[in-house]
Amino acid sequence: MFKHLFKLIWNKKKQNFLLITEMFVSFLVLFAVFSMVVYFYQNYKKPAGFDYNDVWVATFSMPEHLQSNDSVNLFAEAMRNSLKSMPEIKELSFTSMNVPFSMSTNGTSVSSQQKPRVHTNIFEVEPTYKDVLSIHMVEGRWFQKGDHVAKLRPVVLNQKLKEELFGSEPALGKTLGEENYKTGQFEDRFKVIGVVQNLKETGDYQAIESGVYRGMDSGGLRWNNTILLKVQPGADAAFESRLFKTLSNMTGTSIEIEHLEKKRITKNKLALVPMIIMLIVGGFLIINVAMGLFGVLWYNINKRRGEIGLRRAIGASGSAVSKQLIGEAMVLSTMALIVGSFFAVQFPLLHVFDLPASVYVAAILLAIVFIYLLVFVCALYPGKQAAAIYPAVALHEE
Amino acid sequence: MIQLKQIEKTYRTDTIETLALNGINLNIAKGEFLSIMGPSGCGKSTLLNIMGLLDAPSSGEVLIDGQQTTHLSDKALARFRNQKIGFIFQSFHLINDLKVLDNVELPLLYRNISAKERTELAKEALVKVGLSNRMKHFPAQLSGGQKQRVAIARAIVGKPELILADEPTGNLDSAMGNEIMELLLHLNEVDGATIVMVTHDETMAKKTHRLVRLFDGSQVNDHALKPMYA
Repeated sequence: MFKHLFKLIWNKKKQNFLLITEMFVSFLVLFAVFSMVVYFYQNYKKPAGFDYNDVWVATFSMPEHLQSNDSVNLFAEAMRNSLKSMPEIKELSFTSMNVPFSMSTNGTSVSSQQKPRVHTNIFEVEPTYKDVLSIHMVEGRWFQKGDHVAKLRPVVLNQKLKEELFGSEPALGKTLGEENYKTGQFEDRFKVIGVVQNLKETGDYQAIESGVYRGMDSGGLRWNNTILLKVQPGADAAFESRLFKTLSNMTGTSIEIEHLEKKRITKNKLALVPMIIMLIVGGFLIINVAMGLFGVLWYNINKRRGEIGLRRAIGASGSAVSKQLIGEAMVLSTMALIVGSFFAVQFPLLHVFDLPASVYVAAILLAIVFIYLLVFVCALYPGKQAAAIYPAVALHEE
Repeated sequence: MIQLKQIEKTYRTDTIETLALNGINLNIAKGEFLSIMGPSGCGKSTLLNIMGLLDAPSSGEVLIDGQQTTHLSDKALARFRNQKIGFIFQSFHLINDLKVLDNVELPLLYRNISAKERTELAKEALVKVGLSNRMKHFPAQLSGGQKQRVAIARAIVGKPELILADEPTGNLDSAMGNEIMELLLHLNEVDGATIVMVTHDETMAKKTHRLVRLFDGSQVNDHALKPMYA
C-alpha cells in the first residue's frame, strides 16, 4: 500500500508541491523554535553553581577626596566593619561590577600552553566572595589574605575555562598568560590555585560562560565599588533602608541596592523574550499551516469523491479509505521532512551558532514528531469524512 | 448466484419520498448474462447498486451465493465486493494519476497478496482485454474504448464470480461499443462469469441471455433471449 500511495503522490507532484513546501517551511520554523527551546532547557537543567538567595548588591561611588590606595583601603575597611556590625549581614565582599545577573561584563584574553587564546570573563573578588555566594570548589583552594603579593597573581578558574584551557589535564599550579592590550602579546601573569563549579551568572536560560576569578590587589578597591552582601533570611525593607542610609552617610554618594534574586528574574525574562516572540510567530504559522492543510485535504476529498467511491466499490472499507487519506498526508509530510532534515542537519555539521549538536538533534526530532502529529490531526477529520462517503452516491456524481 | 427478494428502495428528503424500486424479485443463475433495460430514472442503476452491495435496500433481502448480505458490517461488505464482484461503469472511473497497470491492480491492493503477484495478475488481465501494449500509459492517453477495456481488466483482475456493468457502452461509439460487448460476451462464455448489465441499447441487450425491463421502479418484463449454454 505504501508503494501505491507513493506512486499516487509522485504522479501528482505538481499539485502536491505547494503543500510539501508549506510543510517544509513549517518544519524549518519549528526546528528554529525547538532549537531555542531545547537550548534554553538544557541550560536551565544545569545547576546554578551558587546560592543567590538572600544576596544583595550595593553599588556606590568612592568619595573623590580619597586619592591614595591606602586611604581607599582604609575607607573600605571602615565600611566593611560598619556593615559587618549589622546583625542582618552574614558576610560581604567587595567585587567588580560584573556581579551575577548584571548587565555588566568584564573580559580578558588568557592563554595556556595548550590553548593560545581564550576569551573569558574576569571577576575581581575578595576571599569572602566564595562564602557570600556559597560557591563550590572542585579542585584546589579559594583565595586567602596575602595571595595578591605573589609574583604571579593567583587565579581560580571555573570548570568551563579549565576545560577550554587544559582539557582533561590538571590545572592546579599551571601558569596562565594574559594579553597585554598595548603589545598584543601574552605575558605570564596568573597561577591557577583552584577550580570552582560553573556559575550560571548570566541567568538560568543562558549558556555558562568561561570565567576567571582574580583576587583583588591593593589598588583594586579604587575601581571596584560593588559590594555583595549575604543577609539573614527575612532581612526586610526596614533593614534595606538602614543599609541605604549607612552607605549613603559613609560615601556621601548615590547608592543602589538590588537583590540578586530579583536581578535573576529580570535577566531570565529578558532571555525569554526572543523565545516568546518565536513561539508566538511559530504558533501563528502552525495555526495557518494547520488550517491550510485541513482545507487542502478537505478540498482533495471533495475533488476525489469519484475515486473514493470507486475504491469503496472495489473492496476498500470505510476505514481503509480513511487510512489511505491519512497515509497520503503522512507520505507528503515525510517528503517535506526529508528535505527539511537535510537542511537542518547542516546546522550541527557546520557548527552554526556554535550550539551543541545535541540541541539540533533534539530539535530535529521534536520538529519531526510535531509535524507528523499536526498532519495526522489535520488529516483525521477529512479522513473520517471520506470514510463516510456513500459509494453509490459518489459514483453517480462522477 | 443472486437472489433478490421483495426489494424496495425509498429515497427520503424532508419533504419528498421517492419510491425508486418497488417489490423486485429476481433470481440470477451462475453463468448467466442478464441485461436490465428501462427509461432513465426507472431504478436500473439503483438495482445494480443494491446487487453490488453499494447501496442497501429499504426492505427486502439480497442473497449472493446463498449468503444473506443484509446485516453484514462495512468491512465484511467491502471484503465481499472485493472477492466476489467486479464493477464496470459508464464513465470508466479510472484514476487519472495512475498508470493503466496500477489502475488494474487496484482491487488487489485490498487483498493480502504480494506486489509481484499483483503485477502478474494485472498484466494477465490486460492481455485478456488486448491492452498489453498500453500498460505504462496514463488513462488520459487512451481512447474511450481503451479506457473501458482497462476498466474491464480491473473488474476481472480479482477473478470475481459476478460482474456488474452499468451502461458499459454508454459513452462509446457503436464500433467501440460492439468491441466492449464482444469482450463481455467472451468473459461470460469462456470464463463463465455471471454478468448483469444495465443498458439503454436494445441491440446490446439482445446479445445477452435474459432481459429484465423496469418501469417506475417496478419489474415489468423478464424474458429469456437465448439459452445459457447454447
